[in-house]
Amino acid sequence: MDLNVQQNNKGPIIEFAGVSKTYNSGTHALADVNIRISKGEFVFVVGSSGAGKSTFMKLIMREEKANSGQIKVNGFDLTKMPRKQIPMLRRTMGIVFQDFRLIPNMNVFDNVAFAMRVVGKPSRIIRKEVSKALSMVGLGHKARSMPNQLSGGEQQRVGLARALVNSPDLIIADEPTGNVDPNMSYEIVSLLSAINAKGTTILMVTHDHNLVRDFKHRVIMLDGGRIVADNAGGFEQ
Amino acid sequence: MRLGSAKYLFGEGVKNVWVNRLMTIASVGVLTACMVLIGLALLISFNVDKALGNLEQQNVVMVYFNDKNSVLYGDSAPILAEGETFDAKNITDSQFLVHNKEEALSIVNEIKGMDNVADATYVSKEEALESVKKTMLEGKEQYFEFLDEDGGNPLSDGARVKLSDMATFNETVEKIKAVSGVSTVQSQGELADVINSIKSGVGMAGVWIVLILLVISLVIVSNTIRVTMYNRKLEISIMKAVGATDGFIRVPFVVEGVAIGIISAIFAETLVYFCYRIATDTIMGSLGTSTIVSFSSKALLLLGVFVAIGVFAGVFGSIVMISKYLKKEGSEFSAI
Repeated sequence: MDLNVQQNNKGPIIEFAGVSKTYNSGTHALADVNIRISKGEFVFVVGSSGAGKSTFMKLIMREEKANSGQIKVNGFDLTKMPRKQIPMLRRTMGIVFQDFRLIPNMNVFDNVAFAMRVVGKPSRIIRKEVSKALSMVGLGHKARSMPNQLSGGEQQRVGLARALVNSPDLIIADEPTGNVDPNMSYEIVSLLSAINAKGTTILMVTHDHNLVRDFKHRVIMLDGGRIVADNAGGFEQ
Repeated sequence: MRLGSAKYLFGEGVKNVWVNRLMTIASVGVLTACMVLIGLALLISFNVDKALGNLEQQNVVMVYFNDKNSVLYGDSAPILAEGETFDAKNITDSQFLVHNKEEALSIVNEIKGMDNVADATYVSKEEALESVKKTMLEGKEQYFEFLDEDGGNPLSDGARVKLSDMATFNETVEKIKAVSGVSTVQSQGELADVINSIKSGVGMAGVWIVLILLVISLVIVSNTIRVTMYNRKLEISIMKAVGATDGFIRVPFVVEGVAIGIISAIFAETLVYFCYRIATDTIMGSLGTSTIVSFSSKALLLLGVFVAIGVFAGVFGSIVMISKYLKKEGSEFSAI
């Protein structure tokens, strides 16, 4: 059962034990997945289309519920957790989307501040933390710019600042380099690595094998809803 | 909830009203129209009630007693003992029931004590004759001098009875008829029936109008909120992703719905005032009636009803609509 479990001295932040997910349409997305990701790890999730990567991420964010098995994320038992606790789970994680999902009529500062406002943080803290997050991604000088005035890479960095601003324990990045040029892709992953170096767990889905090869982080490979490889030291082909 | 969050959420709701201004104008227009119709239906109902109330107050039942004259000239049959025959010239005291004023007053008191009787006053046959002379015989007194002769007054002693509720009019009349000593009761039973049917008809129509318009109001507000939700689906998906609670996501939409409701209520109050003023000026000008309910006496009540409808439609419409969307997750928002 614990075939793919990584050994790590730190406690687990994500644990899958015998997890299967079949959609109402009959599609078997995941089958008997067992995985353990420790606090502070940087993990790439790779696999072809339909391999089960999206379902894997959705289960972690509790956008979907497993049909069987047990999932624990950041101390929350997702298989038993009532719906009203989902917001509390998500406050422990930051999410970076492939399509950036910036609100077009809000400037950079407000886009990042939005993530704090909706969880009820006071304005004083918001001002301080947003400035800090924007500086961290190198966009402190673009706080008043609108999203359409930024390049793809800059927009993704705003998305990253938004994911960071609530100081989450876990960042889930769903193909964050999918819509940016190769140079910027390296910059984004470097930023994520820097954030990881400060202790935040990073879980990144990607199709870009070059990135995975160049950044020597743990790689989980999915195929047909099963984990087919789990390499601690980087990509092996 | 923190004050800062409350201010932010309230501000977002009010901002939505402006951002979606075309939809807001359409919703306020339709909602106002519904409220105006509800307001006018209520004012018509108030006026019908008042008019019927006036009719009810004027509606007096005349009760005539079983005295000597009622046997001689009225509808009362004489009370005859076994084998006794009736001789109009030698009528005896035992052949009728009310012989003097005391007996008449005791019947009046009995009627006064009945349910649904507002008042009952004794009317002697002399007073009745004076009344007939004033109303029916004015200018023709010379032809009716015989009425003043001793024994010439053919009228009976009786009572003027005022009823309080037209709904049980006929039952009360039957009870009065059953009182010992009462000969006949002159009433306008048909009028009571007409009043009652108008009252229930207006009441039913009012209820249906209000219900139908309420449903329309709910649909209108729900649709506006739906458009807002569609426009803000990106924000909602991000809100959910970063851990906003359902309540937090819901508040701006509820504020928007309530704001639309309150704006509509203010417009409706103003419009109803002008419509009613034009209508009452026309009616009072042509009919000269002063029995119309004044707008000022109902202004607060109407505003209260409008605001209640607006707030109800706003809260209910937005909660119903958003609850549907709150169950959606991440990528499902793109499919909306």
